[in-house]
Amino acid sequence: MPLLEVKDLRIAYQNPSTGEQMLAVDGVSFKVEPGETLGIVGESGCGKSTLARALMAYCRPGGVIVGGEVLFDGNNILEFTDEQIRELRGRRMAMVPQDPLTSLTYHMKVGPQIDEILKIHQQLGAHAARLSTLKLFEGTNLPTPEKSYGRYPHENSGGQRQRVVIAGALACQPDLLILDEPTTALDTTTEMQVLKLVKELRDRMGTALIYITHDLTLTDYICENVLVMREGKVVERGKATEIFSAPQTDYGKMLVAAIPRVDAAFPEPAPAIDKQEASTATPLLNVENLSYRYAQRWSIDALFNPQQEELAVDNVSFELRRGETLGLVGESGSGKSTIANIVVGLMAPTSGEVAFDGASINMIDKFRSAELRRRIQIIFQDPLSSLNPRRRIESILTRPLKIFFGMSGAAARDRAVELLEDMELSADLLKRFPRQLSGGQQQRVAIARAFTAKPDLILCDEVTSALDVSVQAHVLELLKGIQNKTGAASLFISHDLGVVKQVADDTVVLQKGHIVDAGTTRSVFGDPTHTYTKLLLAAASRREDYADLSTAAPTTAGALRGR
Amino acid sequence: MLRAMIRRTLLSVLILFLVAIFVFLATEVLPGDALDVYLSEDDVAVMTEEDIEEMRHDLGLDIPAPIRFFTWLSGAVVGDFGVTIVDQIPIGNIIFHPLLNSLQLGAIITLITMPVAFAIGATAGYWRGQRTDAVVSTTTIIGYSIPDFVIGTVLIIIFAVWIPLFPAVITAYNKAHPMELLAVSLLPAITVIIGHVAHLSRLLRAGFIETMNSDFVERARLSGVPERRIVWRHVLPASVIPTLNAMALYMAGVLSGLIVVEKVFGYPGLGIELIEAVDTREVHVVQAIAFLGAVLVVVMNLLADFAIIALDPRVRSHVSER
Amino acid sequence: MLVNGKSLGAILTHSPGTTVGVILVSLHLLNALFAPLLIPYGETQLVGQPMLEPGHANFLLGTDVIGRDFLSRLMMGGRTSITVAMVGVLGAVLIGTFFAVSAAYIGGFYDDVIMRIVDTKLSIPGILFVALFVVGFGRSVTVLTIVIGLSYFPGAVRTIRSQAMTQVPLAYVKAARLRGESTLSVIFRELTPNVVEVVVVEFAIRTSSAILIVSALSFLGLGISPPTPDWGLMVSEGVNQIYQAPWLILFPAVFISTLVVGLNFASDGLANALGLDAARGLHGG
Repeated sequence: MPLLEVKDLRIAYQNPSTGEQMLAVDGVSFKVEPGETLGIVGESGCGKSTLARALMAYCRPGGVIVGGEVLFDGNNILEFTDEQIRELRGRRMAMVPQDPLTSLTYHMKVGPQIDEILKIHQQLGAHAARLSTLKLFEGTNLPTPEKSYGRYPHENSGGQRQRVVIAGALACQPDLLILDEPTTALDTTTEMQVLKLVKELRDRMGTALIYITHDLTLTDYICENVLVMREGKVVERGKATEIFSAPQTDYGKMLVAAIPRVDAAFPEPAPAIDKQEASTATPLLNVENLSYRYAQRWSIDALFNPQQEELAVDNVSFELRRGETLGLVGESGSGKSTIANIVVGLMAPTSGEVAFDGASINMIDKFRSAELRRRIQIIFQDPLSSLNPRRRIESILTRPLKIFFGMSGAAARDRAVELLEDMELSADLLKRFPRQLSGGQQQRVAIARAFTAKPDLILCDEVTSALDVSVQAHVLELLKGIQNKTGAASLFISHDLGVVKQVADDTVVLQKGHIVDAGTTRSVFGDPTHTYTKLLLAAASRREDYADLSTAAPTTAGALRGR
Repeated sequence: MLRAMIRRTLLSVLILFLVAIFVFLATEVLPGDALDVYLSEDDVAVMTEEDIEEMRHDLGLDIPAPIRFFTWLSGAVVGDFGVTIVDQIPIGNIIFHPLLNSLQLGAIITLITMPVAFAIGATAGYWRGQRTDAVVSTTTIIGYSIPDFVIGTVLIIIFAVWIPLFPAVITAYNKAHPMELLAVSLLPAITVIIGHVAHLSRLLRAGFIETMNSDFVERARLSGVPERRIVWRHVLPASVIPTLNAMALYMAGVLSGLIVVEKVFGYPGLGIELIEAVDTREVHVVQAIAFLGAVLVVVMNLLADFAIIALDPRVRSHVSER
Repeated sequence: MLVNGKSLGAILTHSPGTTVGVILVSLHLLNALFAPLLIPYGETQLVGQPMLEPGHANFLLGTDVIGRDFLSRLMMGGRTSITVAMVGVLGAVLIGTFFAVSAAYIGGFYDDVIMRIVDTKLSIPGILFVALFVVGFGRSVTVLTIVIGLSYFPGAVRTIRSQAMTQVPLAYVKAARLRGESTLSVIFRELTPNVVEVVVVEFAIRTSSAILIVSALSFLGLGISPPTPDWGLMVSEGVNQIYQAPWLILFPAVFISTLVVGLNFASDGLANALGLDAARGLHGG
């Protein structure tokens, strides 16, 4: 008998004002055998998280299970009483949620939150519960279980919090563990550690896993079987390795092809634009010994306790030649976005020199000339928030044309349409508001807006990390296209090594504000010199030797603690 | 933690200083001095320039405003608000007993309002969207929409005129014994409580719903934590914290409500003194009462800040880390 | 007209309570607008015996303490307080929007100064605040309107600023700044359109609160002065006749209550439809 069997499950969300029902999960069926690991993969909005919760007979507010069965040990848990289902949850089936910070009660210490589960399901006393919790913390490799026990959620690092939550889920040794994007909020290296831990625990305890993720490489790493979901339906199912290597459906093929993989071949080098000239002329952007320290906000506390913030960027130098793309890679807190903010003029450097086309641009935007502002443009991470929600696309695109070139009326409109066409968007969008566009369309509009200025340098700050993989590939292609067409150079900032490998001519690897590795993308990716770069590459390619690397490189342990 | 409290306290002192400046500016400096305000046109018609100047000198109003301000403020800090224009009675003596009486009534109102609002807000929030919630939401809107003076007078009509259980007007004096006042406080207290329970329970309902929808409640539910424990241990503290400051601000509302019911029922408190002082244009009395009201609100706000610092570990460590 | 993809009609009939509220407010506004054309007698004229009971042949609702037509006074009794409240709050909210948005955007010392002023006002209980001005500047409709404006200005700044603070860190504001938009242009062109919903709800909620305050002031003798008819004032005039003629209190009480209940139901529905939380925006008067 399978541990879990789902039959024709359908879940709907009700629109509170119109009362209309929208199916989020539409006739899903599958089985999970004891000890099996099943991956459920899909892009945002495919219904995978809704499905995950329904497996525990739970719906978020507004959701209703409208049909089907969820059989756990042969019993349909959708027909259980509240009390029966409560006894099941946390004891026989448990969930690890996406964001450990918001998923722990902020006003309670983390230890007692795990004690609570033990007290309820195993009727342990206070002392026994505490001892069990500490053992669980040890089991999930928390470095100092005693200390972590007495901390509040926000006082632990991201990786530690996720370990706490996993400890809580495993507290009663459940038969089924559901993980809902458990590593999405973490850096790649931390993610790898958590994944390894989950794998180990599964093997040790024989727990069945359902792993929900948007990332096919993860399921390849951790799962035996995979379901691919799209718009509430299962579109493909099979062995994880088979789906990853030889997807059967068009959607599966597209999904696999779109993944920017670090172990993929290097892209064909783009036809060099006057390489000789490029190498002899002054670089377009020259950063020398750049440092930045966040200023302490004035406060009464600061008077009591004057201490300086750490350097966010520490003595960083690099150069970017005309028409080329420089990748800036690092995890959160590496200082890569700070560098972008300095180049674009949102912040002034604490020390060092940033030169653009031979002239210093150390000043913030208001001291820069309009011409300089025009020549350096930036594209932001979150496409929706980078477009004013109350302006139509037409106004968003024509405003910079008016400011930079004094264009207005039909001329500006025509130019806007031209740019939309470059982004493969139709002119109809001009009359729409940003919210009426999809995420990919919004980002393409944002790119079009940056190119209204005919920039020489374009800063791309994590421009695809808010997008689904399938959309990301297309957006990157369009971005590359318009960049080649206009000859603009690009400073491409990303935490995703696969993406950088695809687009960058040169790559700089940052760790905690320092440059640890730099050179042509080929040399950095093909023959990394620094252990940290090797670690990042191993984590990104889900390599099994990752663990050996991380133990071999104790100096980088600090960086792994996430933020 | 201590540092955060000191910081809050210093900020409160700053606010009170600004309140003092404001109170002084609004009454004495902008429209002319206290005497200009006090004298009616008829008075001016029958008095000579010299008479007015002499009165001004007697009251110390010929001294420059900044000096008068600091004299007034240094007195106010120790409870000396000067003397009335007409009888030269120390203002402290006039308002002392009414102040105590008002504080007593205000304390009764607050002590009843908080738990009742809490229970109603949490109940409505827990059964959000269901019948209980709909009834509570509708009733609370009506509750805070009806003016205090209307509720008060209607209560008098019902419980003094139609069913003569209470006297229509309270006849206690300023120096009445607290127990005697307590006996007549029922209708005035109910009047203010209705509106404030309505307001506060809506606020708490909103905080409660927000918390019920949070990720940590979902995690607790999916861990099999019983519903009752989720509400008491996880949700209630989290839903109170964000409403504490707003609750303190409602104290300002309770004070306004007090003034109205004291007038409606003839309760011998600061409200009656205030209205009389406005009628007789005793500027210094109005100043003193406004200042004391602000002190009360600022103190309540400070207590709320302390409570937040004690309850929310994020606020605590954010302050001490930086 | 579309707000957040919802038609005005859909917003106004959001829930049964909202519909009731909108109907009550419409009736009151129509009455306030057209009362001068409809009333049977002049609202300040002595036209009959004092304290005639309702149902009298010539005076539908009887006469008041000194023999003025009660119906005419009732119908005229909301005009002054509604006008004072609306004009005062409109001024507070409009000027408040500018200060709120600019404080959020400019930040630093400017923001600190504005917020300390706001804190200062919020520390002085509403009626005491008004009493200070009335004793200083005397009692008139102009003073009252300005005082109501001043009373509601700080609360409006606080609410609108916190909405603007959610917008300021967003990338579209950075983009505007980087293309060289002036500070005023960022404030008016980029940020203000994105706080409009909050401003509208703020205006609706504060207006009903201001009507409450104005009528309470009139009741206390600090607001609108006789012989102008005003519901708050009429209740306090009726208190002495509470045994003989309770209707002199009950009718104005019903009028003022239905107006404020209607306003609050309507603004609650408006807030819900716009996805805002009405309860959070409210502050004690």
